[in-house]
Amino acid sequence: MKNCEEQISNFINLNKRDLAGLNDFFGWSLNALELKEARDYFKKIKRAPFRGDIETIAQTWSEHCKHKTFSGPVKFKYRGRTKRYKNLFKETIVKATNKLDKSWCLSVFSDNAGIVEFGKDKKWGVAFKAETHNHPCAIEPYGGAETGVGGVIRDILGVGLGAKPVLNTDNFCFGRLDSKMPLPKKALSAKRIFSGVVDGVRDYGNRMGIPTASGGIYFDDGYALNPLVYVGCAGIIPRNKIHKKVCSGDLIVSIGGRTGRDGIHGATFSSANIDEDTSSAAVQIGHALNEKKVLDALLKARDLNLYSAVTDCGAGGFSSAIGELGEETGARVYLEKALLKDSKIEPWEIWVSESQERMVLSVPKKNLSRLKKILEEEDCEYCVLGEFTSDKKLSVTYNDETVVNLDMLFLHHKLPNIEKSAVFSDFKVSNKAPKKPKKNYLSILKDILAHPNVCSRHSVISQYDHEVQGGTVIKPLEGKYGDGPGDAAVIWPHASTGNMKDFSGFAVSHGFNPALGKIDPYEMAMHSADEAVRNLLCVGANIKKTAFMDNFCAASPKDPKVMGELVRASEGCYDAAMGFGAPFISGKDSFYNQSKDSKGREYPIPLSLLISSLAPVEDIRKAITMNFKKEGNLIYMLGMASCGMGGSIYNEINKSGNNFISALNIKEAVKLYGAALEAINKGFAASAHDVSQGGFAVAISEMAFAGGFGADIDFENMAKEKDISEIELLFGESPSRIIIEIEKENEKKFLSLIKGLAIKKIGVVKEDPLLDIKFCEKRLLKENIFILKDSWKRELL
Amino acid sequence: MRPKIIVLRGAGTNCDIETASSFDYAGGKAELVHINKLLSGEKKLLDFDIAAFPGGFSYGDDISAGKIFAVKLFKILKDFEKFIKSKRPVIGICNGFQILAKTGFLPENSGNKQVSTLYTNDCGHFIAGWAALKVNKKSPCIFTKDLPNEIQLPIAHGEGKFIIEDKKIMARIVKLNLNALTYIKNPNGSMEDIAGIVNESGTCFGLMPHPERNFFSYHNPDRPASMEKAHFRSGTGLKESKAVGYQIFKNAIDYI
Repeated sequence: MKNCEEQISNFINLNKRDLAGLNDFFGWSLNALELKEARDYFKKIKRAPFRGDIETIAQTWSEHCKHKTFSGPVKFKYRGRTKRYKNLFKETIVKATNKLDKSWCLSVFSDNAGIVEFGKDKKWGVAFKAETHNHPCAIEPYGGAETGVGGVIRDILGVGLGAKPVLNTDNFCFGRLDSKMPLPKKALSAKRIFSGVVDGVRDYGNRMGIPTASGGIYFDDGYALNPLVYVGCAGIIPRNKIHKKVCSGDLIVSIGGRTGRDGIHGATFSSANIDEDTSSAAVQIGHALNEKKVLDALLKARDLNLYSAVTDCGAGGFSSAIGELGEETGARVYLEKALLKDSKIEPWEIWVSESQERMVLSVPKKNLSRLKKILEEEDCEYCVLGEFTSDKKLSVTYNDETVVNLDMLFLHHKLPNIEKSAVFSDFKVSNKAPKKPKKNYLSILKDILAHPNVCSRHSVISQYDHEVQGGTVIKPLEGKYGDGPGDAAVIWPHASTGNMKDFSGFAVSHGFNPALGKIDPYEMAMHSADEAVRNLLCVGANIKKTAFMDNFCAASPKDPKVMGELVRASEGCYDAAMGFGAPFISGKDSFYNQSKDSKGREYPIPLSLLISSLAPVEDIRKAITMNFKKEGNLIYMLGMASCGMGGSIYNEINKSGNNFISALNIKEAVKLYGAALEAINKGFAASAHDVSQGGFAVAISEMAFAGGFGADIDFENMAKEKDISEIELLFGESPSRIIIEIEKENEKKFLSLIKGLAIKKIGVVKEDPLLDIKFCEKRLLKENIFILKDSWKRELL
Repeated sequence: MRPKIIVLRGAGTNCDIETASSFDYAGGKAELVHINKLLSGEKKLLDFDIAAFPGGFSYGDDISAGKIFAVKLFKILKDFEKFIKSKRPVIGICNGFQILAKTGFLPENSGNKQVSTLYTNDCGHFIAGWAALKVNKKSPCIFTKDLPNEIQLPIAHGEGKFIIEDKKIMARIVKLNLNALTYIKNPNGSMEDIAGIVNESGTCFGLMPHPERNFFSYHNPDRPASMEKAHFRSGTGLKESKAVGYQIFKNAIDYI
């Protein structure tokens, strides 16, 4: 240690090897080029760095904070051609947003969350953001999940001048609970990670008084060592509070939690693979009550215009929060003023600590006493750390000792970029007719209903307070018995704005299917976007104003194959956004989701892309649910059934020998969805449900048992590809399909809306609780819906 | 004159805004007041007509649910005694019920001693969902007046199991019909299936379910069935589809 500290004082003279050694010792996660850039900077200013200087650089330049892989240059080789991206993110996902240029996008890719217009009187915006907290959850599931939730809520509190959180979302990936995979020493079992993560989300989200009402759980052994925990939050913000501006002379005020030694190096730790000896000390400790006090105090102060800017202390702690807020001005910080929870803490540790529940405000001096009064009323602790200057320097001291003294320009604009290489080769695909299964269709359906990626999530959902704030009008569990699987959550935030006569709300849903990505990452992105849009449509949201969020998780970007998949998926995102006319408004990525066991074997995760979507629901009273409503109603199938079993649940259980993924035809999908939306808006549709994992048979079963009605179905009339097999009709997962229940008296009007489209009548709702599926009079399966429900309604936890 | 409602909050209270909105919508004038303001004397309890303790996790529910909030109240206990004695309505929802139990205001007893508690659910963890409830039509409770025999309200709690050690007190609750709401299918192990109890004058009401979350009929997971029923009852169409939660708040306003 001593020797290494001496080396810092000799930093400007170190060679490549010594720099690398130092980097490993201190855990900075800087690469050779970055280390050289830092060394050259100090050489130029002719002094040795302080430890705090390099810690600040390491935090600011970390993958976690700068997303340098995704926004860096890439050389992509595919089908014998080479394509160069200067900035992959800007040339795919952001490009679509810029090209679409929607007037209802109020703030995109520039703040802690994206913001779109909300409500009928244009008074509001809704901010939306999702984050991952994968690395912490792998080693400390409960704490990792808690602080993940806490972190994304602070993103919403820190967007613009602060939004009020009204919805939490959570999407998890774990190893299979029945996995036989041999785990390395010290690794936690999937069951342990699963229950720890759910407990963490529950205890933090419930205490914050924010409904956790949207999400998903996905099991695959690829996540056994690297679980994924996507946490999202949506909040509403007055239109006139969307912009923040730090002014020179404003005070730097930290509010909320105290600073301790928990979570030192969280940002740099999540920018590297997890090793067997990774310490859980890098995981922060959450305390929801402190964050609730921050929320209450902050929104009060916001409405009194007491501060000019705010951001959250997330990765990198004060160093990132103050460094970012002061980028244009400069900042002077006196660390001895910080409130601490640990007396044995080094000044540089105060500076980079990721202790939770802290927000940094920029406060005009004249407002300080009024702000103090509010904070004291709410029992919320605070400290004045310094002020924003005009010298464009970041100067940090502890008493008389200098901790950091850097130029903002260097810190924020001198990150060197390395071109990453990416290659992709097409996967071998077969589209021959699926093999005849050993079991009959009914037992296959029951197996699929009980599959962990299909079965009921009630044992998780019911642990979340998904109705707090009194605004969850379409719930994750719905229908006659309150247990049907909802497609999207609809939030009506006006019980908490106080304007209970305004019935505008918004819907949130997700699309996620890594099984497709293992075969074709481009189609995975397209299909996921399609699924997200269909879910919104099924509740009656105005999908013409869909906003997307991308959230990528991948293994090490040093592997060109991983990068190749990323490029293909990003290209898919671009095409999906352009096709649906739906811009991405925010995004996030997490790399290095890869672990080594004691024998040195690598465990990378499959490329995982969560597409979250949000769209307005103009009148929440007209939103619809997915369960059958009435005997005699007509069942229509929207969209065409195509061949291909690639990435399906069926293929996981029965090897069909067919791994083809039918391509998404966006143009056709947009036409279909437009007609369906009109039908729902006009009140013709009683229910709608999308066909996704498990295929048609699963979707129709869910509609039936959630409503307590049976159904008679015949595929004869359904729009379908020529020579499609019974297996593909029942269990195929081809995209852009929705089952829609039309009231008999509205059928004529409905038919006039759908002329020339692939929308066909396939059956009728029955009082008798039997699901009877035929193909040209030939019975494929018949079963009591409550028996089907028994297969589906498993206790996951 | 719109009745004045004090909606009491503290650190960790989280159903305060929608509870206040519910009272406002039902015809009252609700004010959110932090307990610190009552303790400092800046606000006076007796200036209000109705008091509400909303749900949430007051002070993180550290020690046990509602305990810290209850301890804070001891400093201004006299005002609350006067408030309740003068038969001004008090409602404690979820965490609010836990606070009323821990202050000893419910079940009512001469010394305001804590005689009951709301303990960890039998399943051992937090549960959220819709519960079917039986309304005790013989109860003196002013909040549940004119409700149908059976209603549905959402529950969301980790500590909702109502227990009383003293059998005499429980016998009295049942005899006097102070058990205003009972679960049809007990979700948490409460004694006598109790979901909500009231004092003898019917004005101080504590309940675990959340009436503010079934305020309009479109809150119900079984929509539009719930909405059609509401339309049928009120005959006023989409705009006026109020549910039982609305009625509970409205009853308090009408009582004043």
